[in-house]
Amino acid sequence: MNEEPTVYEVMAAAVSHELKDFERWFLGLATGEETILLLSHVPLVGMALAQHTHAPNSVMSVAGWGLNPVLNEMPTLESEIPTTTIHWRCEAHITMSAPFHPFATKRGDVDVGFASAAHVDKYGNCNTVCIGDYHRPKIRLIGPVNQPLHFSCFGREIIIMPHEKRNFVDRVDFISGVGYLDGPEARSRLGFLGSGPVMILTDKAVFDFEPKTKLARLKSLHPGVSLEDTRGNTGYVHNFMPEEVAITPQPTPEELRIIREVIDPRGVLLPR
Amino acid sequence: MSVVQLKEKLCSLAEAAKLIKNGSRITFGGFTIHNHPMAFIYELIRQGVKDLTIVGFTNGNEVDILVGAGCVKRIETCYVGLEKFGVAPNFRRAVEKGEIEVVEYSEDLAIERFQCSARGDPFIPSRILFGSDIPKYNRDIKEGVSPLDGGKYHAIPPADPEWVIVHTPMGDRYGNALYFPNMQLPMNWDLVMTRTTNKVIVTVEQIIDRERVLRLSHLNMIPRFRNVAIVEAPYGAHPSSYLQLYNFDAEHLTMYARLARDPAEFKKYLDKYVYGVKSHLDYLKLIGVENLMKIRHVGGGL
Repeated sequence: MNEEPTVYEVMAAAVSHELKDFERWFLGLATGEETILLLSHVPLVGMALAQHTHAPNSVMSVAGWGLNPVLNEMPTLESEIPTTTIHWRCEAHITMSAPFHPFATKRGDVDVGFASAAHVDKYGNCNTVCIGDYHRPKIRLIGPVNQPLHFSCFGREIIIMPHEKRNFVDRVDFISGVGYLDGPEARSRLGFLGSGPVMILTDKAVFDFEPKTKLARLKSLHPGVSLEDTRGNTGYVHNFMPEEVAITPQPTPEELRIIREVIDPRGVLLPR
Repeated sequence: MSVVQLKEKLCSLAEAAKLIKNGSRITFGGFTIHNHPMAFIYELIRQGVKDLTIVGFTNGNEVDILVGAGCVKRIETCYVGLEKFGVAPNFRRAVEKGEIEVVEYSEDLAIERFQCSARGDPFIPSRILFGSDIPKYNRDIKEGVSPLDGGKYHAIPPADPEWVIVHTPMGDRYGNALYFPNMQLPMNWDLVMTRTTNKVIVTVEQIIDRERVLRLSHLNMIPRFRNVAIVEAPYGAHPSSYLQLYNFDAEHLTMYARLARDPAEFKKYLDKYVYGVKSHLDYLKLIGVENLMKIRHVGGGL
């Protein structure tokens, strides 16, 4: 396969490389077409890629309906809970009734979750509630959704953001998902099960969190993306530059083949 | 054959909606753009109900239209949005103008509040909200200390709605309401909601005979004693989906999301689709057979 990978395929591979075998992954709800592509389709393909390469024993829960769905058979994926899911093949049809969901989320069953937000701050705190003063917000957003659970109880959280300057702030106006709150000690003080966000994945770059300070730090640029472009489109005021910026690993030819021929043969999930 | 008669609970949408008084605390079944009792909601708007407190979970177009029509004072929820159709424009505008009060919960707690009510418990002890701004702004959540291990927790109040309105595939004139097998989200949560009050109203796609209910007793998930009224409303969730029966009406929701951004345009929408129709049947005529046939999913419940 000679074609260059798309940015979405690079992102899906970055997700896949973060995932391990024998893990449990949890994908939730997204709002708006662009967010659905970044927050639902990219992780779906990333999880499936991991299962087809190095993590066959892992289990993905796709929101309200299924464990390990057979992705290449999906007619479309136009809603979190499509009308016809009952006819789609998966390993287990589930409900979100907590007593019956296969994942005991508050006991720490979930190893990796996925989140997005309007704003993410330097400690990985996420805001999906409002911009500006809470009582008279400049912009009201969707609400906290399931972020408190993701960020307190899930093992690792992967934050996926469209890379726009305004999305990266020093301090979010409303904390709906608690990253490292105000520093490296906060999570143990709060008694959380999960270890917190490990990655901010965008359509330009990957950020990680510097181990000592837990401050967001640029880790790698996607192939073809310039450092100037990324710096100029990142609103952080803290020093987020590492000593050396890497290039996000491209999907290998074999990974690209699996994405295009096995996981998403009809291009339903990732535009290409 | 017994000579006594069962109480008939079958009534019209107008009769059922009249039960809801201004200022009621009310819950509607469904999830984002799925399974909402929209026919009932349209009738509430036509009747001009005011000052509702909506106790919700993952809300969508059902809440947005009620807010836009000026029926809502307060919403307790974790989400109001239109999924792929984006933000909920009326909700967003009303919150930004300070016209409605929002009480924030996380998604898991928003639904566990209904389980808490159904169990009759005083609160949910939760440890997932520390560090978030939810308890800072939601003054109904109180911090406490566990009498067992001395650890701190948040006490989350039960949902305790006065009214619960859900839509199901079928039911009988005495109030029994049935689902298809293989219930998925959000049907399961709708069921939990129906256990949180004695004032449940069910709208159904179709009224069936009592004899059939007795044969399908394994599907009778809301037995008649729970319900105060049952209403027949085919395509009663439109433009939401009713999972297993019909998809959401994507064209309609796209139009809704566009018009709702502008108050004047939204008023025209309400005039046409809500105030301008006399009955649910008129609404279906307005939507049109062709559109309804496009979204139906025959055999979905099997």
